[in-house]
Amino acid sequence: MNRSIVEVSDLSHTYMQGTPLAHRALNRVSMQAAKGECIAIIGHTGSGKSTLIQHLNGLFRPQAGKVIVNGLDVSDPKVDIKLLRRQVGLVFQNPEDQLFEKLVGDDIAYGPFKMGLPLAEVKERVEWAMELVGLSFEEMKDRPTFALSGGQKRKIALAGMLALRPKVLVLDEPTAGLDPRSRQELLQRIRRLNQEERLTVIFVSHNMEEVAQLAERVYVMALGQIACEGTPRQIFGNQEILREHHIGTPEAVDILYKLREQGYGVDPGAFLPEEAAAEILKLINR
Amino acid sequence: MSAEFELSRNITIGQYLPTESVVHRLDPRFKLAAFVILILAIAICNTYVGNLFALVICISMFAVAKIPLHYGISGIKPAIPFIIILATLQLLFYGEIANGGTVYVQYGFITISSESIRLVLVSAMRFVEVIFLSSVLTLSTSTTELTHGMERLLGPLHKVKFPVHAFALIITIAIRFVPTFAMEMEKMMKAQASRGADFGTGEWWRIIRRTKDMLPIIIPLFNVALARAEDLILAMEARCYTPGASRTQYTHYKAQGKDYVALLTSIVISVIMLVIPW
Repeated sequence: MNRSIVEVSDLSHTYMQGTPLAHRALNRVSMQAAKGECIAIIGHTGSGKSTLIQHLNGLFRPQAGKVIVNGLDVSDPKVDIKLLRRQVGLVFQNPEDQLFEKLVGDDIAYGPFKMGLPLAEVKERVEWAMELVGLSFEEMKDRPTFALSGGQKRKIALAGMLALRPKVLVLDEPTAGLDPRSRQELLQRIRRLNQEERLTVIFVSHNMEEVAQLAERVYVMALGQIACEGTPRQIFGNQEILREHHIGTPEAVDILYKLREQGYGVDPGAFLPEEAAAEILKLINR
Repeated sequence: MSAEFELSRNITIGQYLPTESVVHRLDPRFKLAAFVILILAIAICNTYVGNLFALVICISMFAVAKIPLHYGISGIKPAIPFIIILATLQLLFYGEIANGGTVYVQYGFITISSESIRLVLVSAMRFVEVIFLSSVLTLSTSTTELTHGMERLLGPLHKVKFPVHAFALIITIAIRFVPTFAMEMEKMMKAQASRGADFGTGEWWRIIRRTKDMLPIIIPLFNVALARAEDLILAMEARCYTPGASRTQYTHYKAQGKDYVALLTSIVISVIMLVIPW
């Protein structure tokens, strides 16, 4: 097992502290991510997922507890916050809203320019980032940003983050609101970033198919706490956890649970469509 | 530092704080009328004691409405630069106009007299009073109540073809979207900060650079605002909103004893403020 690159321990956060509207969003949350791991955070709206991930690049500083990312202590007031934000690329929900330059290439180059890199290197990074998200540099760099489709805009926003060459990529509902094809394509890209570029990926999602496809480990959040943690197999294979936290399941798992209710002996931990199919085949061939 | 991006928390206008006090339960028409009367009195009154009295009244109003005073104070903070600039300008250039009283300094066109000092102090106090009053009003009245009240009060103007309803609607929408855009802006600032943007770190005299730093927020914010406006139009049309059509009211207000008492109190306070001679 690799050393942890993200280490959150006993993190608590209260919004609007000291007002009658104070609201405790995080309560002693601990989580780790190893280098190169792909982690999903799931949980209902208001369970604290977004607050948690905003601590990872120092948008929020820990009110209590510790957050250490790649050796940088986020709670240290003297920490180089810009360095931290370059190491942890946080992509918000609907990141296409944040594009502001007229041309695609300029928008992706915004971050690298802000880092003070020379033009040649900025160009090289933009090209690299665009290829990673599947946009042709030559063809797309001079297109106007606002004439693009939602899926393409989102890829550009992602490229704008990748151009900073982060070590950890944090995504808040990366595929929300995309059509099924763009969704699949974006997922493939994220998987490749994780596997080929060895990027540590942490993503928040409501879509269980997505979690099943991508994640190596899953954190389930409820009421500002980590309710449980495990591999997708452990989480989807445990009906008590699913019921208690009202977690939806991928369709494949649904079918297996229904078969089991009917008295067939299948393992609902087989959460990928191929595995589920194999389980069902076993039943038929028995 | 952790409050770096919590913008919505600094905006008191348009925020409603339900504490169920007497002030909250007043008929919005009467509350608004009392508010207007007090604002007028503040605008006219130019005595030290009268304004001190108004200040005390404003502060005690927070207690009556059961709203913590720091809500009012946080509303003043962003206004402090304006108050200071205004005070400086008045002190330097109003000596001629507000003449009379003892002259303390006379240097070229700058005249500082007891009257111009009074003007400076009184207008600073007025500023604070108005902010306090409007904070209490908006914190104790939901925006729907506020616009209903305004629409009824302006009702008679309908006879002279003043578009009362449209006016009330514009105000409602404007107030309604203040916190929404504060949140959008907060999100935008966070998103751009995550890409390496920094705001307000440049030296203050490099105005062009600092303005350019804001572009990554302003441009997307305009985009979002326009998109939201279009959504709003669709949502209203889907519910058959017709401009200029005659409309019935869902809520009906009936004045009670406490409403008359509130109105009367505001009149009494105003008269006291204007009668005090110092």
